[in-house]
Amino acid sequence: MAVQMNTGGEINTFEAAFNNLQQAAPYAKEMYQNHVFQVAKKLAETREGIKELYEFAPKFEEAGVFEGGPWENPSKLQPALVNGSLRVDGVESIVALLSELRMLALAKETYTHENVTAEDAHEYLNEVMANNLDFIFPEEVDEDGDEQGKETERAQRLFELVVDELTLQSISSTLISEIKRLTVQRPIMTNRIRVMIRKAEQLMHEDVDEQDREEIERFHYAISTLTPLTREFEDYGEYRQQLKEISEEELEEEAKAFGSSLHDTGLVSPYHVVLMRHLNRNDKKELMKFALGLSDNGYAHLEEHYEMVQQLIKVAVHIPTRQSIYGLARLLERGVLSQTPVKPGLRRLIELDINQDVRNTLMDATHSKKEGLTANDVLTAGVMSVLGQPLGIGQGLNPTCQSARALSLWSIHAPGYLLELIPRAARDGDIDVSFEGQPIHSKDLPGGLAPELHEELDPVSLVLVPHLDRIYAEMVRRVQFRGDDPHKWVNPAFYGDWIPKGFSKVFQHNTQNIVDYQGFVRLFYATHHPEYNEGHEMIYPNPVGIAITTVYGNFLGFHAITIQRIAKDSEGNYRVYFYNPNNDSSQNWGQGIEPAVQGHGEIEGESSLPFHEFVSRLYAFHYNPYEQGDSFAVDSNNLEEIERLAKESWGQEFQWL
Amino acid sequence: MTKTKRDINYKTALIGWSLPSIEAIDQMKRPFVIVGPPGMEDYAKKYDLPYISWDFEDYKKRVSMEEVCDHCEELFHALENENVKLAVPLFEDTVEWAAAINARLQNDPKIFKHSLLFRDKAKMKRRALMGGLKVGVFEEARTKEEVKQFLRRVNDALLKEEEELDPIHVKAFNKAGDVGHRVIRSEQDAEQLEEETFPCLLESHLDGVEVSCEVFIHNGKIRFLNITEYIVFGYSMMAPPSPPIEKQRKKIRGAVQALIKAFDIKNGLIHPEFFIDENGSISFIEVAHRIPGGNIFDLIQKTYNFNPYQAHILVSDPNTTDEELNKFFPKEHKFKGHAGSLMVYPRVEKIEKLNVPQELEEHPGFDRHTMFTPVQRKVEESEGFGNPHGVVFFHHDDCDHVKQPLQDYAQHDFFI
Repeated sequence: MAVQMNTGGEINTFEAAFNNLQQAAPYAKEMYQNHVFQVAKKLAETREGIKELYEFAPKFEEAGVFEGGPWENPSKLQPALVNGSLRVDGVESIVALLSELRMLALAKETYTHENVTAEDAHEYLNEVMANNLDFIFPEEVDEDGDEQGKETERAQRLFELVVDELTLQSISSTLISEIKRLTVQRPIMTNRIRVMIRKAEQLMHEDVDEQDREEIERFHYAISTLTPLTREFEDYGEYRQQLKEISEEELEEEAKAFGSSLHDTGLVSPYHVVLMRHLNRNDKKELMKFALGLSDNGYAHLEEHYEMVQQLIKVAVHIPTRQSIYGLARLLERGVLSQTPVKPGLRRLIELDINQDVRNTLMDATHSKKEGLTANDVLTAGVMSVLGQPLGIGQGLNPTCQSARALSLWSIHAPGYLLELIPRAARDGDIDVSFEGQPIHSKDLPGGLAPELHEELDPVSLVLVPHLDRIYAEMVRRVQFRGDDPHKWVNPAFYGDWIPKGFSKVFQHNTQNIVDYQGFVRLFYATHHPEYNEGHEMIYPNPVGIAITTVYGNFLGFHAITIQRIAKDSEGNYRVYFYNPNNDSSQNWGQGIEPAVQGHGEIEGESSLPFHEFVSRLYAFHYNPYEQGDSFAVDSNNLEEIERLAKESWGQEFQWL
Repeated sequence: MTKTKRDINYKTALIGWSLPSIEAIDQMKRPFVIVGPPGMEDYAKKYDLPYISWDFEDYKKRVSMEEVCDHCEELFHALENENVKLAVPLFEDTVEWAAAINARLQNDPKIFKHSLLFRDKAKMKRRALMGGLKVGVFEEARTKEEVKQFLRRVNDALLKEEEELDPIHVKAFNKAGDVGHRVIRSEQDAEQLEEETFPCLLESHLDGVEVSCEVFIHNGKIRFLNITEYIVFGYSMMAPPSPPIEKQRKKIRGAVQALIKAFDIKNGLIHPEFFIDENGSISFIEVAHRIPGGNIFDLIQKTYNFNPYQAHILVSDPNTTDEELNKFFPKEHKFKGHAGSLMVYPRVEKIEKLNVPQELEEHPGFDRHTMFTPVQRKVEESEGFGNPHGVVFFHHDDCDHVKQPLQDYAQHDFFI
């Protein structure tokens, strides 16, 4: 009778299949690989099974498991590709799993390879672990959430073994730097960071070094029981009660502790909400300065608009909307409340008659039902964040970078306009924008780029992006058959008159061929580089198009970002500082081009690159034709270097004429 | 086997690329050379396999099957230089090439002409009919009108009226397996045939159970006869067959012998197909001179425990001795369970995922399957059944545990 795969005899079946493969001549291996992969897939359904596979790992290569495929040579494997491979529904994810087990065997020296030392293998796996934190620390799945794929679960089991076999120390620092990298950008949406912190907490009990442990603790406390008092009285009600009883000095200490953590991490603990509301109720203006971590300048604004601030805290600062405390702090530092339309705009929101659909969306997306909050509270909190953190706005998992950068731009330069749009959308279910003399109403338009918006977004984006996205798409539709790129006309109309009317793009319209690349680069230098544009400073952000590339420099797609400013860094080199609405601004773009989010004078939410590196990914920009310098002055060596970077990366996908 | 190793000082040419056959001849330590398509040359080079690249596809476009003999000069010389004394065809399309080479090697032009008997279904039927085998009524057709006429004549003879016409079958002259096979049930069906179908073979419908035989012949004698039962035509098969068919082994052997005599076959493997009706009457359908499809060799190997690919090479060589053959083949009635295979074809245009039911994997007869969700999600359109995207294998002592799932899962969508 046949050996059954389903009666627990998998390991025997695997052994038989493996032996057949092992005995086969090299040219015939492929006939026997499929069966090995099939049984391996079965075995990988359990943690035990993966362990049993691991036992065979030292013999994998010699037996021909990888013969003839891209995993043949372990020294040529790329850690960055592992995550993608493991997710494939197909044989690739199985071979990738076996390949990781081989690498683990190499690291543990149960197997040796002439081209890969144990140290190499360790290094490789550390990088793999760092790239696969999502498998090592899987996000909790809601009860009503989607069922996770088999591939994801299998990868999680694989990493359980990898983590068991290797020390966690190596990933603890990666995890911490990942958390830092994300927090330093101060996104409005902090869910992902919070998940990572909660996962990192597991490492606090492991053998990690002291410095890492302290860092993890710092983040852990930032989102939970930050002060000794909160640890003593973990119940929010009891903590609230205690605040009434402690001395003024102790209260000041609480306020300072929360304010400093807020300032350091941008993360808000729920106890911070209790404290803020207490201070507000008891009219402790001076202590609010500490609790919000305000500078003197910020405090001056607090004093000036104290009544408004009190109202905002009362309405918007609740446990589910706690991040709005950071928004409030930043908003005061920016002095936004001093702009004339802002205060009435905010007051209008508090009483706005929000339409039923929007109300549901807001409550669902912020999990605010059953918390005694209204949609107005949630929306007001959201507006505080957007006004306070214009560069913290993100597109989430939606292809709506255009809308995100519009919100960001308006938050900085036209908060009054933004506060006009929000009630229109929330109350009327419609916004209108004039395009070449004709009004476009979002309510009349279908679709847009994101008909189904992924709802992990800040409240303002939730309300506005569906409208903005449709209007943007309609504008593009209306001019799509003109002889030049639609963005030339759409951007100034959509974003507003801050956008200069000049427009240049590297592609020949209609053919997508690259013509006169050097001319394009010269024009950008002559209009943007302070040394070639006669010193004109950039005043308003410039929405530009860039070609995103992978870590290997391969073209991934077009992306919309905004140049915020161009300035010298502390070393005297010109850098482009830009806002990337994907909230993950330090991706590696290959060729050594890695946008930085800190260390070169970036303000929170900005990324930066050396000027010429940035230009090598640029494909379209706006410019002011009246502020143009000497394009001939640009150094031709520099131009050639930029052209090389472009040609050898995303440019490979296009025809150069 | 020891004898084989010692005596063989010439090479065998495998005509076509097939890893199991390469592995088989290599394992027997027989000197060989592969004659395969240009696309496999790099692979052969990588693994140091003796290889002569030959563009069969290109010749197929330019040269008719009957002219192959006149175009094999270059290949023949190349093989002669390699000390090749025997050519073995692995695929339907290489049957005439192997025969053309063998004809030259043995200086006997008849060998080539003989091979064409297996490549032209009309010629094949006539020869079988003349050799005394029972065949259906058949004709060759050049137009749709002739197809309709044939349908009318057959049904006229059966006294069948418009409503309940007996179907007829349209088959391509020279294609392997089910490729080009159409069932015509009405004149409308005939009308819908494409122009490329013609000329073709028309055949009356035969009822009954369909079986194929894998016959290893040496020196005109049957050295081993495997009988494969077709469970769901085009999808699933089982070997050895269920007891009602097994009981008729003697009769089937008789039909095979008549076939060997009618076609004057000396050495090699043939793969004929027969219908057996309720009364045990056996009708000849067609015969191929190559390795069968549908994983039949895997089934034979699983249950008889010998390597049919090796057997194929052994019986193709006239020099193989009786002693070697006696040692090689097991007794036909000594088999280890029944083995079945189910070929899986996607019925969707784009594959979302794999859908292997748990009941199947837990079925007592289930052995293994070969499917993964493919990289290429778009399913290419193909003539006939096309290439299967996977196979499910069954194996069990009780043939019902094999036959039942072969029937049940033929309609299951493994790719959705």
